[in-house]
Amino acid sequence: MEWIEVSARTLDQAIELALDRLGVVEDELEYVVLEEPRAGLFGIGRTDARIRARVRPVSREKPHEQRRRRARGNGTRRNRPGGTAAPPREAPTGPGAVGAAGPATREDGERAAASPRRRRRRRGGASVGGGAVPGGQPAVATAPVTRTDAHETEAETVEETSTMTLEEQAATARDFTAGLVEAFGLRASVVTEVAGDDDIEVRVSGDGLGVLVGPRGITLQALEELVRAAVQRAAGGHSARVHLDVAGYRQRRREALAAFAASIAEEVKASGSPRALEPMSPPDRKVVHDTVAAIEGVSTISEGEEPRRRVVITPA
Amino acid sequence: MSDEPLDDADDFDDDLDDLEDEIAPEGNRVAGGRAKAVVEYVARHLVDDPDGVFVDAGEGRDGVTLLVHASPGDLGRIIGKRGRVIQAIRQVGRAAGSTEGVRVTVDVAD
Repeated sequence: MEWIEVSARTLDQAIELALDRLGVVEDELEYVVLEEPRAGLFGIGRTDARIRARVRPVSREKPHEQRRRRARGNGTRRNRPGGTAAPPREAPTGPGAVGAAGPATREDGERAAASPRRRRRRRGGASVGGGAVPGGQPAVATAPVTRTDAHETEAETVEETSTMTLEEQAATARDFTAGLVEAFGLRASVVTEVAGDDDIEVRVSGDGLGVLVGPRGITLQALEELVRAAVQRAAGGHSARVHLDVAGYRQRRREALAAFAASIAEEVKASGSPRALEPMSPPDRKVVHDTVAAIEGVSTISEGEEPRRRVVITPA
Repeated sequence: MSDEPLDDADDFDDDLDDLEDEIAPEGNRVAGGRAKAVVEYVARHLVDDPDGVFVDAGEGRDGVTLLVHASPGDLGRIIGKRGRVIQAIRQVGRAAGSTEGVRVTVDVAD
């Protein structure tokens, strides 16, 4: 997975920006804070928030392999100072925070930052309870990366690896979807395709499937959520990302959206004045960003808060 | 068979339930039967204890309300993080109801 670096005035804005660039929702983002924003005096010396982010990978390594890799320090995991922990400000922040994730501190962080929750999750617990921190008051000042965020839970579930292969998960997705289509009293064919490292495409095709798409695709969206949930349940631990399309709806829509974005981009180029598009979902915004990025003389920014966030096409 | 009287009784009750579900007062299939089947199917596939799932259909003035029952430990799976799964179930139930011309509401029994 590609890492990107973005900066913005605040951390939240930087995260929003990263979500947009990557075209994902918050659950799927993994990021490291490179630099906390600083206000400066009268706006002088102000620095932006800078983060490194990527689409959260879905790993199928065995847990102990991941742990070993972590112990070497790959600089991506965020340690949480934890319930019993010292205030975050005691730990290093800023650019050094990531750099500090070297082997030595990583080991310490691994032990020290084990919150009660982490400890519970870890099945083989020996390395955690290993007596390194007697008395239950771990020394957390060494925790290398301090940023804690709402997505920690998701990030940590990466440690719990599914026992199902990607192909098995795809089969689960197919069977569940086929049964669901049948419960609707419809006839359709369901095929799955494993794409990339951790993506499963499920395609339903047939006649009269409009009810499975719904107005503006809301039923399709809901079905996708359910197929995901079913795969997650069957796979246990972490599972692949599932994408659903019915009767080519999403494919056609992507194409139409790209064509539309391109036509607006041409207008912006001709008129020299920016145009804001309707609010869109993260994947849709990504289509717009990507399309416009390929056109000279225009660029895109996003503005507004989810779910009303929208792309503005501006003259470059 | 004879050494499992309880199971038989359960089956019989299930059969009765099914009859009640399938036959409306006018003798037609009950409104929202497809939505119920869809919601039940989904719920059963999301939980650890599929046998603990059943769906009550109640007909009200403004459509059919489906009440999903599940084992206590499975409610979280049916509701999902930030209610995402139950929202999806609601939407899918509505869609299934629309094919029968029935307005469908889905709730979880707790």
